[in-house]
Amino acid sequence: MEQLKQQLKQQIIDALNLEEMQPADIVDDAPLFGEGLGLDSIDSLELIMMLDKNYGIKFSDKAAAKQAFASVNALAQYVFDNRTK
Amino acid sequence: MVYSIAEHIISPLGVGIEANLTALHEGRTALQWHDTLHGTTLVEPIYGSVLPDTPYLIDGYTLFESWCICCVQGALHHSINSSFLASPRTIFILSSTKGDIWTPNTETARHIAQFFGNTQSPIVVSLACTSGVSAQITAWRLLECGMYDTAVVIGCDVLTDFVAAGFQCVHATSMQPCRPFDKDREGLNLGEAVGCLILRHSINSHECGASIHHSINSSLAASAAHQWSLLGGSIHNDANHISGPSRTAEGAYRCLQDMLSIVDKDDLACVSVHGTATLYNDEMESIALHRAGLDEVPVSALKGYYGHTMGAAGVVETILTMHALDKGFIPAVRGFEQQGTTYAANVSNQERTTSKNSFIKLLSGFGGVNAAIAWTKESIVASEQQFAFGETTICASEQQFADSPIHRFTGSPIHRFNLSSAYKALAIDYPKFYKMDTLSKVAFVAVEQLLQQVRQNQPDFTLDSERCVLIFANRYSSICDNRAFQKTIENKDDYFPSPALFVYTLPNVMMGEIAIRHHLFGETACYILDKEEDLQPIVQSTFTDSPIHRFPDSPTQALVAWVECTDDEHFEAHVQLITK
Repeated sequence: MEQLKQQLKQQIIDALNLEEMQPADIVDDAPLFGEGLGLDSIDSLELIMMLDKNYGIKFSDKAAAKQAFASVNALAQYVFDNRTK
Repeated sequence: MVYSIAEHIISPLGVGIEANLTALHEGRTALQWHDTLHGTTLVEPIYGSVLPDTPYLIDGYTLFESWCICCVQGALHHSINSSFLASPRTIFILSSTKGDIWTPNTETARHIAQFFGNTQSPIVVSLACTSGVSAQITAWRLLECGMYDTAVVIGCDVLTDFVAAGFQCVHATSMQPCRPFDKDREGLNLGEAVGCLILRHSINSHECGASIHHSINSSLAASAAHQWSLLGGSIHNDANHISGPSRTAEGAYRCLQDMLSIVDKDDLACVSVHGTATLYNDEMESIALHRAGLDEVPVSALKGYYGHTMGAAGVVETILTMHALDKGFIPAVRGFEQQGTTYAANVSNQERTTSKNSFIKLLSGFGGVNAAIAWTKESIVASEQQFAFGETTICASEQQFADSPIHRFTGSPIHRFNLSSAYKALAIDYPKFYKMDTLSKVAFVAVEQLLQQVRQNQPDFTLDSERCVLIFANRYSSICDNRAFQKTIENKDDYFPSPALFVYTLPNVMMGEIAIRHHLFGETACYILDKEEDLQPIVQSTFTDSPIHRFPDSPTQALVAWVECTDDEHFEAHVQLITK
């Protein structure tokens, strides 16, 4: 799980061009949207595409995505439970 | 006064205005399932409206060019003599979000203009989904300033797998017929069409010397006793988000306010809105109408018939509204059942009758841009039927600023350096910079450098939120982002279209970034031109000699920029600040 979290952090940085950030800058339980990394709706769509591409995850509804994007901890758990590749 | 002297539409609902109006009257839609677009199989099918290829293809011209040429020819139907199109006093203005995507848009526009013998450098207005209205505004200003006598405004976009993938990946499309303003609306349907408006300035004969009747006017006069006149238009940015509309409708509200300063609310037959049927667009428009005091005015929304025809929408929807009002009706809003917006705009799924003779056309698009125009129908009196040709020049507005000193400040040109280092050297804290595409980064750095230079002499200088206009142009549009997005969709086995890349495939988004950064609610207008010098008449008609001084917050500052980026290492920017 720890390895998955590190991998996700790097993938988030790459997908969203967070050029100045290192994986260590993303706190495991901090919210990804709003106050956390300051991400917006387009970033959320970009992350959905990234998770589909890398893990074969397709979100059934917005609520599921919202829950998964609560933090890196939540995202890692969601990926762990739902990945198809 | 600027009049429309000829109009034409080619759409999946028919060729010509009569065919299209009949379809609206009968409630027919062009929307249906498509799993291919012009020979390309789609990874995900779309529900939309598509034009057939073959009837229009002209030897030696692309499909896009052929559609545009056929549409101009259709508009000339009444004309015995179309030689005025070749005049150096005629300008071709193309409204398109993509044009022929892998060809510079001005080359495409030039092919079209040259077909009619016109050798002027054409203007391409690339202002996302507002392009069709913005192109009419550009034409209106150039004609009002006396730079041209005639403007041929063409709105066109071809629906491609590129555009379909883009709108699908930002989750904007609906899998069923769109439902503008309805509580169950799920998104937009894409469509394609082409529209052409030929606009001309009329000049009172005894003021400008010799005027002549043109055959188009003569033939129109025989069949109609009125003419549609373009009263003016305005463009405003939301300064809020590069893809989502403002929650408080800042830009659209300001556009409507400007229009209400030139047209009486009581004379409005309708407001022809964008009405894309996305959750956020229709909500935003209901707020804009409410804030402008227009809740009672009937709304016309045509996407249920045609889908969203992108660069064509503003031109096609203007023409349809004009001619529907000629026949005394406001088309039913197809797909609407039950109010689904915070404010109850006056929307109906029934056709309505009207005897009023004015309307506003409103559009919004990516980059936070909004645009509106106001049209009114006027009776033709013999003396007003005359249109100027030849070497006439009118500068009605020039005198207004004769005493206002104009200051220019030119920034150092930038090219070929590490953009991140340049950003860091600015010593400002704006992390969003890193998420921008290269074109936006270049524009951002150039503008910030210029402002820092200006502040060395005027430490308190700021860009005016309401009265600063941004006029940007380049030749290669958003070619880098187009290539990058194309890479995400070209392999059908590894098909992951990138939402962030798609948003940046519109060059005006760079101006949205600057508007957000500096809280600028003024005009943000983006042009594709052959060369930087072609910006001059646009700057003159937008700012220095502009007829928009009639609006409440006429601009006092203009940021004029040529920003080009052909790949991540080849870019340049020239920015100029003009104040008065």
